[in-house]
Order: sequence, then C-alpha cells, then structure tokens
Amino acid sequence: MELPELAARWMHALTPTAYIPLSHAEIEQALLDSLRELPESPESVAYRLVSLHATGPDSLRATIEVLSPTFELPVLARMASAYAQAMRMDAFDQQEEIKVAIVRAKQRVERTLMVSQARFQEVFDSAALGIAITDFTGRCVQANDALAEIVGLESGADVNDRDLREFYHPEDVAALGASYRKVQEGHIDRFRDQRKLVRVDGEPVWVYLAVSVLRDADGRPTHHVTMVEDISELHLLQRNLDHQLLHDSLTGLSNRQHFISQVERQLDGRPITLYHLGLDAFSVVNIGLGQETGDKLLKIVATRLSRFAAEKNAVLARVGGDEFAIMVNADTVTSTVEEIQEVLGEPTFVDDHGIALSASIGVVDRPPAFVTASELMRCANSALRQAKARGKRQWALHDPHDDARRRGKYALAASMPGAWEHGEIEIVYAPVHDLETSEVLGAVARLHWDDLSHNDTMALADSTGLSLPIGRWLLREACAQAARWVEEFGDRAPTLHIALGALQSRDEDLVADVKRALDETGLPPERLRLALDISSVLAGDDNAVVLHDSGIVTALDGFHGGHDELAVLTEVPVRSVITRAPAPDPDSPLHQAMRALIATVHSFGVRFGVDEVHTLTDAEHWRQAGADGVIGLLPALTAEEVTELLATAASPPPAAS
Amino acid sequence: MSERVSWVPEGVDVGRPSAARLYDYLLGGGHNFAADRALAEKFLQAQPNARTIARLNRAFLRRAVLLMIDEGIRQFLDLGSGIPTVGNVHEIARKADPEAHVVYVDFEEVAVAHSQLILEGDPRATIIQEDMTRPDAVLRSARHSGLIDFSQPVGVLTAGVFHFVPPQADPNSIVAAYRDAVPTGSYLAVSQFTQDLQPEEMAGIVEVMKKSQNPMYPRTKSEIEALFSGFELLEPGIVPTPLWRPEGTNTDDPDRAGIYAAVGRKL
Repeated sequence: MELPELAARWMHALTPTAYIPLSHAEIEQALLDSLRELPESPESVAYRLVSLHATGPDSLRATIEVLSPTFELPVLARMASAYAQAMRMDAFDQQEEIKVAIVRAKQRVERTLMVSQARFQEVFDSAALGIAITDFTGRCVQANDALAEIVGLESGADVNDRDLREFYHPEDVAALGASYRKVQEGHIDRFRDQRKLVRVDGEPVWVYLAVSVLRDADGRPTHHVTMVEDISELHLLQRNLDHQLLHDSLTGLSNRQHFISQVERQLDGRPITLYHLGLDAFSVVNIGLGQETGDKLLKIVATRLSRFAAEKNAVLARVGGDEFAIMVNADTVTSTVEEIQEVLGEPTFVDDHGIALSASIGVVDRPPAFVTASELMRCANSALRQAKARGKRQWALHDPHDDARRRGKYALAASMPGAWEHGEIEIVYAPVHDLETSEVLGAVARLHWDDLSHNDTMALADSTGLSLPIGRWLLREACAQAARWVEEFGDRAPTLHIALGALQSRDEDLVADVKRALDETGLPPERLRLALDISSVLAGDDNAVVLHDSGIVTALDGFHGGHDELAVLTEVPVRSVITRAPAPDPDSPLHQAMRALIATVHSFGVRFGVDEVHTLTDAEHWRQAGADGVIGLLPALTAEEVTELLATAASPPPAAS
Repeated sequence: MSERVSWVPEGVDVGRPSAARLYDYLLGGGHNFAADRALAEKFLQAQPNARTIARLNRAFLRRAVLLMIDEGIRQFLDLGSGIPTVGNVHEIARKADPEAHVVYVDFEEVAVAHSQLILEGDPRATIIQEDMTRPDAVLRSARHSGLIDFSQPVGVLTAGVFHFVPPQADPNSIVAAYRDAVPTGSYLAVSQFTQDLQPEEMAGIVEVMKKSQNPMYPRTKSEIEALFSGFELLEPGIVPTPLWRPEGTNTDDPDRAGIYAAVGRKL
C-alpha cells in the first residue's frame, strides 16, 4: 500500500478515538510524515501521536491495526512502548500543571480570604457602630471598641465572653429574646429596634439595634450579629448645637444668653461685681476702616479680655456688637476698671492701622441676692449708658434708687402678660351702694394686680394689647362667679356690674362675647349690668343699643357731663351713667351745678352713679347733690370673701327678710 | 482509586467532581481527579457514547471559531471555558490570525487558575473569573480587560455550557444581555445537550449529574432556537454536532451525538 493511502486510512481510524484539534488535511499530513519516519524512529512517531493528542483509549489499538500489515512487529513494539512512556510523561505534565493550578487557586482563595478578613477587621474596628457577634446563648464572641464605648467599657475585649443580654434593659429582655430567636430560626432575615441599653455604670443609653445572623459554609446559622447605634449621639449633636447657641461665632466667647445663665448660677453664691463694657468709638473703626477690620479688632479685644478673665477667674461674654460683660467675685471696682482699661489700652495694630482702644464701663457692685440676672444685666446696661453720656473711658456705678424711678410703668406693662398667665391678676368685687337706702345694689367686678387699681390695670392692659383678652376673661369669670352666687343664694346674690375698658366697649365681638358668657355660665341676663366706656358710644358704636335690645342693662362709664354726652343719653337707652369726680362740697358753687347736671340726667330717665367714693362724707355730699349710687365705700373683696359674707348674712331669722 | 492523591495540595477538595474536569477526562485529558473519573464512569454507563459526544462538541467549537475567523471576527468571548484542554480557542484562532484576542470566562477556581497558568504572559488572551449567568459582571470585567472592543463584532462562544444553566436563571435573558452588548455582525455559537436525541440516555445523564455540583438541563430544539432571538441562524440551523458544517465525510452517527449545535449572526 502506498504511504499516502495508508496515512488516509490511519487518519480515519484515529480521529474517532480522540479529539485532534486539527483539520483532516493537517492530521493526514502529520501521519504521512510519521509513516516515513516510523522505520527509523518509532519513538519520535509515538511522541508525535501523543503531542497531537491522539491519546484516546482506543487510539493505540486503531494505530496498530492500521499499521501492522505494513510494518514489522519490532518496530510497532518500540512505538507502542514509547507511546506508553510519552503518555506517562504527558500525564505527569498534566498533573503538574493542575497541581500548580490548584496551589494557585488555593493561594488566591487564601489571599482573597485574608484581604476580606483584613477588610472585615478594619470595618469592625473602625466602625462608628457598635458590633457584637454572639453565639446563640447570647455570649459575646467578638465585639468592637465602639460597642464597648456605648456600654461604658474600655475596649471590645472587655465585652468578649459577656452575655450581651446583660446590657439589655430588664423590661426588654423577653421581647428581644423572641426577636433574636426569630432571626435564628429564619422566620425573618433581620430585625431593627429602638431600645434602651443599660451601661455598666447603670446609666441608660438609647440605641438602635440591627440584628442578623451569620451562617457557616453550608448555610446553617451559627451566630448573631448585633449592630448598635448610639442615638444619644443625637444628644451630642444637640450639645453641639447648644454650644453654637451659647457662643458668639466671631470671638468664640459666651454670648449674652450664656452669660445670663452663668450669672444666674452665681447669684446665690458669693457676692459678685458685673462690668458691662462698651468699646469707645467702635463705630468709627467699623465705618472708617471697614467691617473686616472691626471684626479683627473685636477678636483682639476678645483675646485680651479672655486673658484678663482667666487671670481674674472671671466669666466673660460678648453681649452685644461692641459690648462685653465680665463677672468677677466682688472686688475693688476702681482698680478693676483701671486694669480693664490697661488691658484694652495696649498698643493695637489692625491691618497696619494703629488703633487707640478704650471702653466705657457700667458697673453693678454686689447686687442683692434676690435680683434676677436679667435685671442685673439691665442695671449694668443703664450704668453703661450713663458712663457713655459722660464721655470716653468713663465708668459709672449703678444707682438702684435712680433706676427704680426710671423703670416706671413700662416695666410693669411688660410684665403684665406674664403676671396674667401666672394668675397674679385677680378679680375682686366692690360693692355698689344705693345712696338713698344705703343698701348694696350689687358688686362691681374689677381687676386687681399688686397695688394697681382696676382702671390703672385696664389702662396698662390697653397699652400692651392685653385689654381685650383680659376683658373677655373678666367678663366670663365674673359671670360664672355671679351665676354660682345666684345658684347658692338666689335673690340675695348681688347683681353683677362690669365696667368694660375702652377697647372692649367698641369691640365688634362684644355682644357675642356677652351672650356666650351668659349662655355658658347660666347667669340670667337681668343679673348683669354692663358699663360701656362712654367714648365708644360717642364714637357712634352701637354696642350699647344692641346689648339693650338683647335685654342687658347698660351704663355709660366716664361720664363728664359734656353736651355731646347728654345728647347721647337722649338716643341710647342706658340705665345709668357713672362718673369720677371730686365730691361736690355743699358749700361750693359747684354743688349747685352738679345738682343741676344730675337733675338733667335724671330727666332723661337715667340714673347717676359715682365711682371711687371712699368716705362717708363724700358719699353724703353726693347724696345731697342727687346722685343715686356710689362705688368704693367699702374695699373690694375676693370672690371667696363675698361668698363668705353672703353665707353669714344668710343666717338672720326669716322674719327679718 | 478514591484515596487521596498525594500530589494534590492540602485544602483542595478533590472529592467534589466538577463538570470541567469530567469533560477533560472524556476528552482524554489528565487534568482530573478520582472523583471526576468516578463520575465519568457513571456518565459513560448512562451514555456509552460520551467520549465521542465530548470529541464532537470540541470539534464543533473548533469549526465555529474557524467560521467566525473566516467572517472576520478577531475577538472572542468564551463563556464557561472550563479546563484548558486540547484545542483551546486562542490556539485555534491564532493559527488563522496571531492577532486574535480571546477572553475566557469561568467561575471555577481550579479552572481559572489553570487557565491563568496557560495564558501567563499572553498579552492577547486572558481569563476572567465571573459567573457567565451574570452578564453585567462578565461584560464589565471583559471591558476592563481591554482585550475586547465592543464597538467591533465579537464571537461569543458557549460550547457545552447552557446545559448547566437552569431554567430559573432565564437563559434567554442571559443571551440577550450579551447580544445587546455586542454590535451587529457579531456571532453566537451554542452547543448544548438535548433530550431530542436518545431521550433515555439523556435522562440517565441528568440523573447522574443531579448529584454533582453541576446538574444538567437538556433543552429541546425550540428552546435552543429561543436563545437565538435577535440572531440570524446560519445554515444548517440547529443540528446534532457532527452535522454542523462537517469537515470532509462524516462517519459519526448524528443520532448518538447528544448535543445540538448552532451558530447565529446578530441582526
């Protein structure tokens, strides 16, 4: 057989036995080359077969079958033997290859594992969250420092081997235990909860817990992972915010608010002296050299004063644009003032500008303990104004007497809302006397605050915008009280008189307010007398008319007897007018004029009442002038006192009535 | 032969057979362990023609690569490349054009390490360790390798791979993701076991592989056709491996080839 034909047969026999990654032509050519080589070097043919990958289980048999008719047995035997050896070597090579591959795979896995372990450790150690890995008995296998810190221990190692449940709040143990079990049993993947832990020092700490489970390679749960977020961190943040609220951002000193609270804490302790500094001519710097320079100057002042305050163990604050305050244990004022001026007077250069610094200083020395910090600040401020008024580099000591006069009624007005809120404004009841019979006609409900009269109180209320709410409150409360008296004492209960302030008298809601007060308290309308400020009626307001139409008896307060007022009496259906005037001495010419006026009022069918009549003599004079009733003969009583009076007056035998 | 082989380093579990090493053994390779060979024996009992099936599948891969080379493809993405064995893609492609680029993708540690060994110092071929059923990760790594220019046509090879992808992994969408990443004119080669040929033997193979770490999922012709959505199937369509553009006269019995093969061109 020709060699090419043999090669083709060999190829067809060989290819089904193994995958040879070559085209048929290529394989055939390689086999033809082998046939030519075979007699001389059967070994190299064997190696070629193996390198071609003609290494299937049947490859050698197929080869021998095809070649045996043509080649001698010794040649084929040598080839077969070499083939076996080549296969052996090939197998070794492959084993070596896969061994190296496996070692590398293992190294890579180990490296990956190491990296991921290192990563985990880094995350674990540096996490802001507390992390604990616990076994299913709750014992801590590993915990980080963040967790230790949350529960009040030094390091994560201190937590190891402890039962994490030690740190649960006793009330939470059962509920948390159930949740942990659910995670362990796979009912849920994880849970999150807001709970209170108990630190080792017994302090509670609010935390968010996030709990999940660790599994082994086969997916079996082995440990719990508990992440703990200290949400009292929020409180830290709060503290941070507080710092910002209490400190001046430019100089870093305490601000006014902080200073006041520091003063407050000192007030009950040792005597103090307060210095309120205002930089002289600071506005000149600010305007002339720019605000930036001004800011730098303020920082310099702050630094110097801080140094001074540190030496003196004093409390320092920036309490205004160019104002600072220093609180020291009471000392010698003059020398301290001089020291402050010295500190400020050191040569000062800002942006190459030499600036002469001085301050005006208001001083409050050893204030009495009952003074509030705010009052103290105000005193120091007013002393500073006085010092400034005297010129630069001056100081002034606060004078308490001078101050009291200046405060006047403004302070009172300013404190009125608070006083009302705290129940310091009371309602009292002043009797209305009939001048003819001396009987009590009723009780006038009035405001009472400190030493102020009803009218002063109402005037103050008007200036603060409180008169309407206070007026409504008075109306309602007095109606309620009067209704209780009616319920308890029936006909003997006093008729309620209320004098409304100017604002309330023309309030468009007045009628509704009155009706509501009557409805809600159950006071019969005929038991109420409302005195409206006459100015409202003069201004054309129709509240008096509408009230009259609603069955409320009305009066006009503040009557002076003017022509316009008399004219109003012909149009507005009122029962009486009330005036405040000196009692008309029967011997004076005024007496006659007053008699004539009262007669005129009477001629309109209107009664004449007088407020603020405090003596029987005055009352008698008014009676002689023709007046019908007076208020003020007896001091006003509290509701309880009135009730008591009514109760005791109830005891006389029935025959007397 | 199930005792520990002395040359295997500590810590490698050679007791768990792998499909890649089973294939290597069936192809006559020596990169395998007793457990792999034990599994191969069972495989051979279920399908006595297994060696031939492996050979035919490997031969299909070779012809598919050569066809793609003829069509101008110079970069290949070989998904589930397994243990480097006889006739690797880069070897076949380089014979036609030494400049051809190949990116192998496999997930199995040993296969990857072995491939790295073979490809060490090769600037135009690499192996990336990714799960081919996660196209996003594969494509990201492939781009990162710098060996594949996704603006140029790519030859995507999945020889004997999809029968390891369970239906719930949605093979169609996996193929679609690769399809969408490559330009028109790219090629896709698929070969995979089918129950259409020798259903009894196929059922036996499925049973044998059920207990391995690589259970198998044979697919019908129409299921395989669905993988080629967006591709134009080249002649002769989906056929048993020996019938796909055979070289010379074919002596292998297509009815016993076990595996369907097809190549498509992206529309």
